[in-house]
Amino acid sequence: MPTRQRLKELMISELMLDMSADDIGDDTPLFGPAGIGLDSVDALQLVVMLEKHFGFKMADQEQAKRILQNVNTIAEAVDQQVAA
Amino acid sequence: MSHSILITGANGALGLAIAEYFLTREADCRVFLGVRERRDRAEELAARFPGRADLITLEITAPEAWQTALSEIAAKASPLAVLINNAGFHDDALLANMSQDQWSRVLDTNLNAVFHGCQAVLPTMMRQRQGRIVNISSLSAISSPAGQTNYAAAKAGVIGLTQSLAKEAARMGITVNAVCPGYIEGGLPADWTPEHLKALKMQLPMRRFAKPAEVAAAVFFLASPEASYITGSVLKIDGGML
Repeated sequence: MPTRQRLKELMISELMLDMSADDIGDDTPLFGPAGIGLDSVDALQLVVMLEKHFGFKMADQEQAKRILQNVNTIAEAVDQQVAA
Repeated sequence: MSHSILITGANGALGLAIAEYFLTREADCRVFLGVRERRDRAEELAARFPGRADLITLEITAPEAWQTALSEIAAKASPLAVLINNAGFHDDALLANMSQDQWSRVLDTNLNAVFHGCQAVLPTMMRQRQGRIVNISSLSAISSPAGQTNYAAAKAGVIGLTQSLAKEAARMGITVNAVCPGYIEGGLPADWTPEHLKALKMQLPMRRFAKPAEVAAAVFFLASPEASYITGSVLKIDGGML
């Protein structure tokens, strides 16, 4: 399964989002009212989810802020790590 | 696979009662008895449940000690599923006479240690997407008796921590609750005279102190799968005292 699709499905199950994968655009902001509306608790869960399912370890909060923008930014970081 | 439970202050009356409650009612649990220097009663309990109860040395005010303890648990059994922050003590004095040391030690043991414990177990529980934390607060957190500014503040802090963390952890399948026991048999200061105890009982609606098992039963329930929608709750167990 492509990384983006897998990320969306994991987000829905792990963050208990009441929506389908199709509702999450690749560049839809994850946080804030203009996007999906995730909060800081979800951010923490995303970090755990990426480590658990992709072996991706977030180095620090700055990196987390950079990566946890939207599905595209997360997928790029995850794929880069796999490639490396 | 059995699930692991860690109870701090497990050599005291309430800690022992909680441990025994789990051990006698849940066949598949492995109970870790957090102790420091005093360990005789916990050793006796562990001997009664071979292979199911282990003593674990834990200096609860030291964050690194929590990491060591959790590694030890993970090496011996399944990842921690339940944490009971039970250890505590009080050192009463009027605030006007209270030393900085009296204040700090009571805050360290009763409140800061709960922070260290919760922070230490969260990553494990988050990965499992389930967990139960039960914090033992006190009726003093609500009634705030004179002479206990340190203890009442610490235990009220435990309630605040519990309710705030409950919101943070709810979506991760982790519940965080607190209980506030009143007077418990076996948990009263040794220097209280029989006359004082008698007079105290007369003031209680049930005219008796709680049996440790009566508090343990509530802790057991809050830690059970059946309590899955209860989080951020504060349950007073005081025989109607307040």
